[in-house]
Amino acid sequence: MTTAAIQTIGLSKTYTLGFLMNRRVKALQSLDLTVQPGQIYGVLGPNGAGKSTTLKLLLALVKPTSGRALIFGHPAGSKAGRAEVGFLPENPAPHDYLTGREFVRMCGQLRGLSGVELDREVDQALARVEMTRTAGLAIRRYSKGMVQRVSLAQSLLGKPRLLILDEPSSGLDPVGRRQFRDLVLEEKARGATVMLCTHIIPDVEAICDRVAVLVGGRLVKEGPLSELLVSEAAEVELTLEGVDAEAVRAACPAQAHLTTAAGRVLVRTSAESGTALVGAMLQRGGRLVSYTPVKHSLEQLFLSTLESERGAVGGDLT
Amino acid sequence: MIGQLAAIAWNGFREARRNRVTIVVAIFAVVLMLATALITELTVTTFRRVVIDFGLGSMTLLLVVLAVFLSTGQLSKEIDRRTIFLLVTKPIGRGTFVVGRLLGTILTVSVLQAAMGALFFIELGLVGESVGAAQVQAVAMLTFELMILASIGTLMATFAETLTSVMVTGSVFLAGHLSSDLYLMASKAKAPAIKLAGQVAYWLIPNLSRVSFRSQATYDQVSSGETLLSAAGYALVWVAFSTCAAVIVFQRRDFK
Repeated sequence: MTTAAIQTIGLSKTYTLGFLMNRRVKALQSLDLTVQPGQIYGVLGPNGAGKSTTLKLLLALVKPTSGRALIFGHPAGSKAGRAEVGFLPENPAPHDYLTGREFVRMCGQLRGLSGVELDREVDQALARVEMTRTAGLAIRRYSKGMVQRVSLAQSLLGKPRLLILDEPSSGLDPVGRRQFRDLVLEEKARGATVMLCTHIIPDVEAICDRVAVLVGGRLVKEGPLSELLVSEAAEVELTLEGVDAEAVRAACPAQAHLTTAAGRVLVRTSAESGTALVGAMLQRGGRLVSYTPVKHSLEQLFLSTLESERGAVGGDLT
Repeated sequence: MIGQLAAIAWNGFREARRNRVTIVVAIFAVVLMLATALITELTVTTFRRVVIDFGLGSMTLLLVVLAVFLSTGQLSKEIDRRTIFLLVTKPIGRGTFVVGRLLGTILTVSVLQAAMGALFFIELGLVGESVGAAQVQAVAMLTFELMILASIGTLMATFAETLTSVMVTGSVFLAGHLSSDLYLMASKAKAPAIKLAGQVAYWLIPNLSRVSFRSQATYDQVSSGETLLSAAGYALVWVAFSTCAAVIVFQRRDFK
């Protein structure tokens, strides 16, 4: 059996707040998640949903209140676990007194690289984020997008099996965003697993295989993107031929939308009435040419999930 | 692990250098020259003592300020700006990270101390005073005093805000030179509570006068090897204690 790239079992984190430490925020509650190797896994959620807390728990930047997390079978936070991970935090703040190259090089040394291998990895990583030309400038002179690129470069060092990226497109221009998406797909082609935490839904929709939606510190939806979007579909589109349009109209609910073209009748209706309509038309000697569930966009799915969960900002306060 | 330790220590040194802390050496040189010129005008019989005392005193003051700010500031800044997220998520022990940071501070302060020490000896030569073993001992043993302060500053930086860390570490320097006096005063007190408080303070605060050889240098008193070794050992125990505490605290803390 393949070892999961990420596995969390009842992972929870409660922060204590206030001068007397008497207020508690449940930032993450009993998260059970499995990310298989080779997937691009998207984590979505409103502000304070527990996305960043999840990533911090996976990297042992914070310690869980209960539960545990494994990275390729190693306990999260162990050296063996961290050796598998390349991490890009949200709003990265590399040392601004270093040049881009010096910073990436130092990160390579911390990953245990040295000598020729270190030089090669640094050059490759900088080239992949198109920072070779400006790598000799001090980071304090960089724009936000350049800081983001250099920070992304350090996460690629040593060809980690798992990339954890928190808001990676933040600060990137449209070209940079496209390059980032290409880079993630290249990493997937290499065999790496990518966990992507972002607010930019089109990015998730474009490249993720599987998605988790967190709201108020709880996992409220999880699954392959294609299935999630279809299962949320309330409507179907079907094409019939060999039947009269008026007969179809009579068998359809009033809300259904009908168009005729080239002797065919195209109907867009609810999934429930669509099934009944197909049965009725087949009995009349008609033929079903196509039956397509209408996919929702991920954004629609995300917003409807927030609505149904009464999308609270932040975890539960006690 | 050695490579990772060296990378962090070298980064600390580079940070200090790029933030122009070497200016401290220039300040020292200017202060030393001006003061020597002034002292030449004012003193006749105690010229040597005053020059040595002033030179060592100003060197100590500048380096202590530097050690306090570097040890507390660099790590705190990394935590506050969340630069730490990019570093401790690498396959490196948090203990290694803290020790590397401390070594970076010690390296920076030691390089500046060597430069200032050389300037001090050159200045003594220029004004016609010889450099004796007592002065060399005082300059060398200052390293241990600075190491104690750097390790305490690093310990504070692992859990406290920068301002608190600076104030506590600075206070340790002041109290550390008074701890034996506090102990003596408290031992003569009649109230047992005061006696106990004096003893507790003596054990909780490093006795920095034990590792300071400035007054011996002023009076050209050469200390024995045994005394120097004992002082160095005492300092290293404090450094080890503070560093272990810093590692334990740093390993346990959350980075939110």
